[in-house]
Order: sequence, then C-alpha cells, then structure tokens
Amino acid sequence: MDDAWDEIRRLAADLQTAQFAQTVQRLSERNCIEIITKLVQEKKLDVVHTLDGKEYITPAQISQEIRDELYIHGGRINIVDLQQIINVDLSHVEARANEITRTERGVQLVLGQLIDVKYLERLAEEVNDKLQEAGLITISELCKTYDLPGDFLTEELSRRLGTLIQGQFDQYNRGVIYTPAFVARHKARIRGLFSAVTRPIPVSSAIGVFGFHEHLLYSVLEELVNSGRLKGTVVGGRQDKAVYIPDIYSRTQNTWVDSFLQQNGYLEFDALVRLGVPDPAGYIRKRFRSSKLLFLRAACVGPALVDQLEASVEEAVSSSTWVDLQPMLPSSLSQEDVGMLVSQALRNAGVTTSARVLGDSVVVSEKFISGCLALFDDAMQMKAHKEVKNNPVFLLTEEEVKQTSSLMESSAPSKKEKREAERRKKTTEGSGSVKGGGGGNAREFKIRKTKKKGKRDDDSDDETGPSSQQGRGKVAEVPFMSAQEVAVVLEAKAGDFPEESLLELAEHLARPLSKAYQEVVRAVFLSSSSSPSGANKKKSMKELQEEVTNLYNNIRLFEKGAKLLPDETQVHITRHVLKTLCSDITNVLVNFLAADLMMSVEDPASISGEIRVKILGKLPEETRAPLMKLHHSLSGKSIEDFLNNVETSAEACGLLLKKGDKKRERQSLFVHRGALVEQLKQTEEPALVLHLTSVLLFQSSTHCILHAPGRCVPSIISTLIGRIPTESHQLLSQYQGLVVKQLVNQGRKKTAEKEVKKEDEEVKKEDEEVKEEEEKEDDIRGELLTLMPQVKDLVLAQRKTSVAED
Amino acid sequence: MSDEATRRTVSDIPLLKTNSGPRDRELWVQRLREEYVSLIRYVENNKAADNDWFRLESNREGTRWFGKCWYVHELLRYEFDVEFDVPATYPATAPEVALPELEGKTAKMYRGGRICLTDHFKPLWARNVPRFGLAHLMALGLGPWLAVEVPDLVSRGLVTHKENQQLQAPSAEAS
Repeated sequence: MDDAWDEIRRLAADLQTAQFAQTVQRLSERNCIEIITKLVQEKKLDVVHTLDGKEYITPAQISQEIRDELYIHGGRINIVDLQQIINVDLSHVEARANEITRTERGVQLVLGQLIDVKYLERLAEEVNDKLQEAGLITISELCKTYDLPGDFLTEELSRRLGTLIQGQFDQYNRGVIYTPAFVARHKARIRGLFSAVTRPIPVSSAIGVFGFHEHLLYSVLEELVNSGRLKGTVVGGRQDKAVYIPDIYSRTQNTWVDSFLQQNGYLEFDALVRLGVPDPAGYIRKRFRSSKLLFLRAACVGPALVDQLEASVEEAVSSSTWVDLQPMLPSSLSQEDVGMLVSQALRNAGVTTSARVLGDSVVVSEKFISGCLALFDDAMQMKAHKEVKNNPVFLLTEEEVKQTSSLMESSAPSKKEKREAERRKKTTEGSGSVKGGGGGNAREFKIRKTKKKGKRDDDSDDETGPSSQQGRGKVAEVPFMSAQEVAVVLEAKAGDFPEESLLELAEHLARPLSKAYQEVVRAVFLSSSSSPSGANKKKSMKELQEEVTNLYNNIRLFEKGAKLLPDETQVHITRHVLKTLCSDITNVLVNFLAADLMMSVEDPASISGEIRVKILGKLPEETRAPLMKLHHSLSGKSIEDFLNNVETSAEACGLLLKKGDKKRERQSLFVHRGALVEQLKQTEEPALVLHLTSVLLFQSSTHCILHAPGRCVPSIISTLIGRIPTESHQLLSQYQGLVVKQLVNQGRKKTAEKEVKKEDEEVKKEDEEVKEEEEKEDDIRGELLTLMPQVKDLVLAQRKTSVAED
Repeated sequence: MSDEATRRTVSDIPLLKTNSGPRDRELWVQRLREEYVSLIRYVENNKAADNDWFRLESNREGTRWFGKCWYVHELLRYEFDVEFDVPATYPATAPEVALPELEGKTAKMYRGGRICLTDHFKPLWARNVPRFGLAHLMALGLGPWLAVEVPDLVSRGLVTHKENQQLQAPSAEAS
C-alpha cells in the first residue's frame, strides 16, 4: 500500500518537475509572421512575400529569377507570365522588370513583354531568311507573326539592315523591305514593259496584268522616267488613275492632230477622244494657243475654213444670188455645228442683215428673195381678177372672215346643201335653171342609194365638187398659193436650187406673197365694182321681178301638185322644193340686195347657206329681219310659211309679187311641160326617162305639175294607178323594176371594185362574178333600151291626144 | 470539442482504465496513478507545443487539487487561481472546477466561482466514463471556457492585467 502511495508521491513530483521544466522556446508560425511583419514595417528588413503567403523573397532574388526566366524563355517573356511563375504581386514584378530594363542594356520592355537583344538578333535572322526566300516582306506581316508593334519592328530591323538583313526599305513606304535582287528584277521588268509600250497605259492595269508591286512600281517608274531611261510621262500622280503615256504616242498624236487640222481645216472632238485625249477642247486650246480656232459644239474649225465660207457668202450677197455652203463644210459636222459655223461666217462677213440662212447651209441674199417675189406679180394680178369675179363675199375685212369661218364650222351641213344645189344645176341644164326640171332628181336618187353603200362613195362625191372645198379654204385666208405651189414655180425659175431648201424658201415667200396678194385683190375689186351703171340696174330690177314672180308661182303650183300625193311623199317633195326652188328664190332676193353693197355674185344659184347668212349680216336692219326669217324658213317644213315670208321679203325689197291668174297658170303649166318633154326626148338615161315620164304622166292626168325628188318616183307611179290605162301602168312598173335593178347593180359593182382593190388574192373569183354581173347588166340594159321608146311613147303619144284635147 | 486543435490535443492524452473513486482505497491509488501519468503527459505535450497554460498540485490523497491557470490575450497574460475537489462519485461525476477570483464577474459561473461548463461537456464526459480523467477535464472544460470568457471579461474591463504578476509565482515555487 505504501509502495503505491510512494509511487503516487513520486508521480506528483514528476508532475511538478514536468510543469516547471523549461518550456521549449519555439516560435510558432503565427509569431514568425508577426515578427517579420513588424520588421518590414520598421524597414529593418526588405522582403516580399509570395502570393500564397508561404514564402518570403528578396527583390534581388526576384530580379535574378526574372533574368533566369527571360533566358529560359528565349529572350522574350510576358510580365504577366513572369508574375505567375515567380508568384509575387504583379507590382513587384513590374518594378523589378523596369529596374532591369534600366540597368541592363539589351533588355527592353515592349507591350508588357521583356525582350532582350539575343531575341531580336534571332528575329532579325529569321526575317532575313524569309526575305531572301520571298524577295519582299512587309512589316505588317511581321507584326502579325511576331505580335510586336510595327514601329518597334521597323526601328529594330532598320538598325540591322545591311548587317543581319540583306535588304532595303522602300523609300516611300517604310512598311516594306526588299532584297536588292528583288528590286533589280522588278526594275528590269518595269523597264522592259514600259519601254515596249506605245500607247497610253493605266499604271493600275499594268499592276493587275503583270503583278508588279505597287509601291515599287511607282518609285521605279519615276526614277526611270526622271533619269530619261523611259521616254514618257506619268500622268495622274500615284493614284489608281495614273496613266503612263509614252512620248512616242503623244508625238504621233500631236503630228496626227497637226496634219489633220492642216489638211482639213477642222478638228472633231470625237476623233481626239478616240485617240485617247481625255479633254479635247482643252487639249486643242493648249496646243494651238496661237492660232484662231472657232470652237463649236463637237468640233473646232480652223480660220482657213471660216475665211473660205466668209468669202463665198460675201460673193453671194454682192452678186445677189445664193450659195450652198454644204459642199465646203466638213461632212462630219453636226447640223447644230453647221448652223453655228454658218452664222459665224455671216457675222464675220458682216452680212447678217442682207442675207438669210435657209435649211442648214444655204445662204440666200435678200435681194435674191425680193427677186423671187417679183416673179409672182403677173400671176397674182390674173388670179386676183378671177377671184373678184367669183367670190366678192370673200373680200370682206379679215375680222368678218374669221367670224364666218367659225360660224361655218358649226353649220357643217350647209356644205352638203350647196353641193346638192350644184348638182341640180348641172342636171337641169336642158330645162332652164329657173324651173329646176325634175330630170336632175333621177340622178340624185342614184347617188343617194350609192351613198348608203359606202363612205368612200361619199368621199369621191366630195371630190366631184372641188369648188366647195376650195371655197372653204378661201374663206379662211384667201391665200395666194400654197408653199408647195410656190416651190414648183420657183423650181422652174431658179433651176439648180437645192430641193430641200427650195420648199423652205417657198414657205418663206408664201407669207409676203399672200399679203401682197390681198392688197392686189382689194385693189382689183375696188376698181371693178365701181362700174355697174344705173340703167343696167333698172333693167335688172325688172328682170328680177319677173324671175321672182315666176318662181313664186311655180312654187305655188308645185305645192298644189304635191297635195295630191300621199302624206309621206308630200313631206319629201316639200323638203325638196324648199331646197331647190325656194333656195333659188331666196338667193335671187339676197343677191339683189347684195348688189347694192357691191357684193353681188354673177350666178345667184351658187350662193350657199353660209354666204347668205354673211350677206344678210351686212344688210340694213329693215331688210335683214324679213330675209333672215325667209332664210330660216328654208330649213323649215312648210312651203306655206315660206311663201308668206317670200311675200313680206319681196315687199321689203320693193318688189311686187303678182298672184297668178288662171291664164297665167295654164301658160306656166304648158311651158313646164314643154321643157320636160324636150328633155325627155333628148335623154337616154333610163332613170331620168322614168322620172320624167312619171312626172309628165302625173301632170297630164291631174293637170298639176310636180317638182319631186327621184326617190318619190315610185310613189308617184303608184298614185297614177287608175288614172292611166293599165297596160301603160304595167309597162311603167316593169321599167321601174329594171331601173332599180340596174342601179342596184351599179352600186354593187362599185363596192365590188373596191373589194378587188383591197384583196388581190381573190381577183380571179371576183372577176368571174363581175363578168357574170356585167352580163346580167348588159341584159338589163338591153331590156331598158328596148323598153325606152315604148315608155317615151306613153308620154309623147298621149301628149298628142292631150294637145288635141286642148 | 468543436475545433480541430482541441480534438487533436485530447487524442494525445492517454486514456484511463481504472473505474474507481476516492472512496475505494486500493483502486483509487491505481486510478490516481493513471491520472498523474495522464496529466504529466498532457503537460509535456503542452510544453512541447509551446502551449503551457496551467500549474496544478494536489493534497496527499489526491482528492483536492489547486494551482493556477492563465490565458494570453493580445500578448498579455491573465492569470487566475484554480481549485476543485474530486467528488465521491468520481469518475461518474466530473469535478466542478472553480476560479474564485472571478466570482460575480461573469454569468457563466455558479456560486463559489465554479465555472459553468458547456452543454455538451457533461454528456461527453458521461459517455467516456471511466476513460476520461483530470487531464481531459482541463483540456475540454477549463481550456475552452477561458478562451471564451477571458477576452470578454477583458473587453468589459472586469479583469485588468497585473504587472509583474505573470512569472513570479511559478518561479517562487520553483526556487
């Protein structure tokens, strides 16, 4: 037990000894860090701790390590990489790196990289290898491969040019290095190419085709040109537009231009452009500064040519003839240029007032023109006399002319009216103009029918009455001759005048000619109209009264006759009478009044509706009103109205209208019948025969005369039924049928002819048809001929009996 | 038992084998011997790690222990008296360590200056009966308590540093 406690005691003592044993004086890590921090703070120690805080390192060691790393990495190392390797704060690395670049030559800091001389030497050697291989090398390319700034490379490499690098920098562009061999090769090629060139060549295209190096090309080219090795010039500096022009080319060009100008007296800009002169006008100006050239739009002309033109113009003016400059002018000049040139020549010659340019190139002296005017004097006089006789109305003042012309436009149908009147006049020659025999109407009937068939017929119809159209033109201006007519006359007189300018000259003359003509006409008119004598007038007054009365009574008789016919036909007849006889009577009256105003026409029948209106417009108030009414009633429908108007108008004119008594009536009936019979005897035309026969039969059966248009013939014949023997009526009907057939055939033939013209392929077929038709027609004609005497006999035989009755 | 250092320290302390209290005459001696071995080893370990922080001695029977402990805070050493009795039910019950100087100065203390051990000390002790001994009590009980309470007390001004106090006591006893 004691042993145990002894042991305890011993252990307690051990504990005490253990507790009081000297504590091991060991610095814990914490203490160490504290101590060093303290030391660094008190600047007693200069160390840097690594990023993980486990190590301390002295700056000298950092520098040493940086040097080592630089060496290991072949002379070039990035500071960021260094920082990772050394594992201290970047600022320390940078500071040490800067320190190193300061203290050691050969080491430099570029773009955050440490680079030493050895690296640069090696780089230069590499560059040199590449350069020898390729002939040229660009700094920018090097920049890319070595990842270094261009300026730095340029500087470093230029320091080593000639030693480590066998090559040279381009003089103008420091970014390229060549080997002398490359340069020499290039130079030789450039020299060869540009020596061989004979035409201007754009430098850029040479680069493209031959693969020259642009920088080198320009400098070499300049050098060669300046040294005189290449005969030529570079135009356009160093841009893409630069063009090399060999001397030989510009020399040839100049000689060509010189000789062309000398030989031909002019230069075309186009030709120069073709030769490769970019600015022809400027070029010419520069080249021929001394000589006086005339610049036109597309060419320039030498003084010799201008002088020549001038001389010929002067000559033409002084000899008062004309001259065509065209043969003297270069054929390649445009019209515009010719005009400029000619006017310049005229100005130079000082004859702008005494000469005139026709066409483009014909110069005519004014004297020559006035000479031409003189040619027309005689013709003018003759024509004026003729005109005065025909149409005094047209010699009114110009204003009135205009007024009526516009009026006429609006009343187009009046033209037709006039045409009808004319036609009637033609057909009624035999029966005397006043009575207006029905014979004419047969023809009208025919025309009406054909008109329906085609418009072309209508046109040809118009042509048959040219006077009306001419009259229309005259109303507008009373021109003397058209330019074409003038040209024809001139051509005859002035033989070799160029044709195209002839017409122009004629147009030129037409205006003064027609003016002069107006004057002449007026003079002639005044001199002619002052002649009629008082006695003559009185006589004509008596005649007039007779004529008017005659017409008046006839109209009354016709009206009476018309009433026997059916209404429908009556209307037609009424209109016809109004158009023919009534117009005549109106015209006679109007013409009578017009005579007072010196406007009378020789043939009153030729007065048309518009002329009538015009004349009426000039009449004094008291006569104008009734006559105007009369004029309007012409286009009305009732003969009754018209007759009333005639009476009042006659009074206004101071004429006395006698109402016909029985005896007089009978006499006029007889006269009328006689005239118709006479006409019937003479005529051979089937339609006319039918017309006359029917009218005559009507008269004999009813003792009423008729004035009917052709188209009323069938209805007249039908009214005759019962009044004449049936045999004769049958004969008439048969005849009528044949006439109608013939007319229809004629109409068809006309259209067929037209078709034939249009379609030549069907000629044969048509021919056959036409033949057939012709045969048919011949048959009809034969029948008509055989029947004609019988038909005529109907009237002529009857007449004897009726005469006997009388 | 939270930090790694404490765990390592504790694992270096030899465990005890004898389950016996002061009441058992013979077995207590054996237990006491094991306690001493364990404490010596702990102290030696501490000294070797430059972490010496207490002095302890006992009465003859080894039932009452007293001595000093200290804590270094901001390079200053704060030293306190320490004492405790080994209870009759030891080792089932852990001794209650007392620091009489600090009585009334901190909330984590019972009357008489007995320190208030952490919540998980007792279960830990209970789990390790009879293997834990006095060395473990110091390492797991008083050590952490000092590490938590002393800086707090210093900052509150309840404990001030006493000059020249630090090495006198041990040196006096050594002499």
